[in-house]
Amino acid sequence: MKLLSTVAAVALLGTAAHAETLRMSWWGGESRHVATQAALEVCGAKYGHTIAPEFTGFDGYLEKLTTQMAGGTEADIIQVNWPWLPLFSKDGNGFLDLNSVSSTLDLSQWSADQLASTTVDGKLNGLPVSTSGRVFFFNVTTLADAGIAIPTTWDEFFAAAEALRAAKGATYTLFNAVKETAQLLVTLSVVQATGKDLVDPETNRVAWSAEELAAGIEFYARLVETGAIRSMQDDAAAGNVNLFEKPDWANGLIAGSYEWDTTYSKYADPLAEGQVLQAVPYIRPAVGTIDGVYRKPSMMFTISRNSAHPEAAAQILNCLMNEPEGIDALGDSRGIPSSAVAAARLAEAGKVNANIAAANAIAMAASGPNVSPFNEHPEIRGLFIDTLEEFAYGQISAADAAEVIIEGANDVLAQFD
Amino acid sequence: MRRFLGLAYLTPYIIGLAVFTAVPFLGSLYLSFTDYNLMSAPRWSGLDNYLHLFTSDRTFRKSLTVTLIYVFTTVPLKLAFALFIAYILNYRLRGINFFRTAFYVPSILGGSIAIAVLWRYIFATEGLVNMAIVALGGEPVNWFGDPTNALFTITLLRCWQFGSAMVIFLAALQSIDKSLYEAAAIDGSSRFYTFIFITIPLLTPVIFFNLIMQMVQAFQEFNGPYIITQGGPLKSSYLLPLYIYDEAFKRFDMGYASAIAWVLFVIIMVLTLVAFWSSKKWVFYAGDKRS
Repeated sequence: MKLLSTVAAVALLGTAAHAETLRMSWWGGESRHVATQAALEVCGAKYGHTIAPEFTGFDGYLEKLTTQMAGGTEADIIQVNWPWLPLFSKDGNGFLDLNSVSSTLDLSQWSADQLASTTVDGKLNGLPVSTSGRVFFFNVTTLADAGIAIPTTWDEFFAAAEALRAAKGATYTLFNAVKETAQLLVTLSVVQATGKDLVDPETNRVAWSAEELAAGIEFYARLVETGAIRSMQDDAAAGNVNLFEKPDWANGLIAGSYEWDTTYSKYADPLAEGQVLQAVPYIRPAVGTIDGVYRKPSMMFTISRNSAHPEAAAQILNCLMNEPEGIDALGDSRGIPSSAVAAARLAEAGKVNANIAAANAIAMAASGPNVSPFNEHPEIRGLFIDTLEEFAYGQISAADAAEVIIEGANDVLAQFD
Repeated sequence: MRRFLGLAYLTPYIIGLAVFTAVPFLGSLYLSFTDYNLMSAPRWSGLDNYLHLFTSDRTFRKSLTVTLIYVFTTVPLKLAFALFIAYILNYRLRGINFFRTAFYVPSILGGSIAIAVLWRYIFATEGLVNMAIVALGGEPVNWFGDPTNALFTITLLRCWQFGSAMVIFLAALQSIDKSLYEAAAIDGSSRFYTFIFITIPLLTPVIFFNLIMQMVQAFQEFNGPYIITQGGPLKSSYLLPLYIYDEAFKRFDMGYASAIAWVLFVIIMVLTLVAFWSSKKWVFYAGDKRS
């Protein structure tokens, strides 16, 4: 006993000698905040470091991080959205090259493809936390009430939209599509028709022709005209409100949406008692065509290049992603982990929410081209959404909207040649 | 030593002014002539930002138009409403102090995010306003989805925060010499004429002060449109501060955002100078010899 306490005291002294004070920043919802703080506590205790948490919702996180990065005051460990890589690390020097701490960080838990997705100019800028994709969610309670089967093709989808309105009244709509979701539905339509992502990786220019994009925009118009989704005018009437905050979503009057698989709980939790949300396989033009999945590393953890204690930060990062204490504490708060050891441990322990696992399985199994991070470049996304809005309000034709988007996106892409 | 005492007292303020106002102020002027994305050093670009702003930026033109409409509707409406309420609260009524406090409360809460969120619910499709309209037999209005209505809701939010202007008007009304009203009454002046020819002229210095303050604040409006409409639909409520914010923190173009900020500053300065210049013709101070 005496020997044990002596060993413990020496071990404590050993870690205390290297005890560092670190900061970690992330965005998320309440459950993620709670889980991450718990994980930081156990990992900090394990290595004797103190980690100050800095967390917010997604809105405003990019602005805050940008300001910190500009001033060199970012946290030691940072949660970064994968599409932001070109913004912060055009040449790979925006973050610490994690290869430099690979003796501490077990990189073997990620596949070569996964590591390649977060590598810029040969520098490993981050570790994918999870891979997520947009999937179709339906309120199966509303559909069952109306006697409608879950659609698998777009023809069935439009028929279901009509059947829902006939059965439940004009206040019911089958699907939601505003802002990013509207943009991604147009993208989905074009990808399903052409098999190409927005950006051609060879030329670093828009891969779609104006005609192909115009057809996607016309597809959005058809969604509105058939009453499958609400018009932008009607949807904007609620003001700047998220879908999951809308009473019509909670009460099943909007019966579906196209969202990230990892956000299942965010959309399922607000539903009224008895309503069930379910992720379903991709709706396609016809059987046999590609799904056109929009899938990407959902987020990554990285270490600041300005961190005074990169080794200590790497210890904590490894604990969060690869060690039992961190894995158990984080659970599925960021979806199904990309780290092989973490995914296996959570699966074995049955700690993954079955609905999130089902949604993730659909996203992982779906087919589609590789997605460029430029799809979510703020300027390209802003231009796409603004132009789509002009089209929705009748200010511009689909053909002109397609020209505007392609020309503007190419201007942005040219800055990265 | 004693003669430096005043300077010693002022030093903290001067340091604060220099560090937190003057340096950022001049820094943004410099940045407005650069291409600066936060991640790399600013690159001198001369007048490029300003040339682009005035020659090919459709969004700037739209945003500037929206901002001017907003300011030129909000400020007069708010001042008129504040004066109207102050005039009523100047009467000796039972419980008047309660009403004065109650009318001032929106100004304390007005600029907050919580009130903007509340405003969003009040004007939503099934919000309080539409419920009232329907109860009166009307059709519900699409306040946020119709480009012609969205800015109006933001305008109303600003007008609702009339308390600070009202308190200043109230103080000014109470300082007007009662003998002037007595003389007018003896001469048979009606209430309306007394208000127009005695009250208003004596309030002009305060009207002028409130005009300048409210105009400057209105040009800087951010919270309302950001929370309620995000500048939409079709950028119909996209005020210049939102555009500056988006350019700086969403598109990371600090140089361009600084250029827009300086254009906004010049507009405010010019309008303030015009107000000062015109004040010689319509603002009357105590002891003024003009007739």
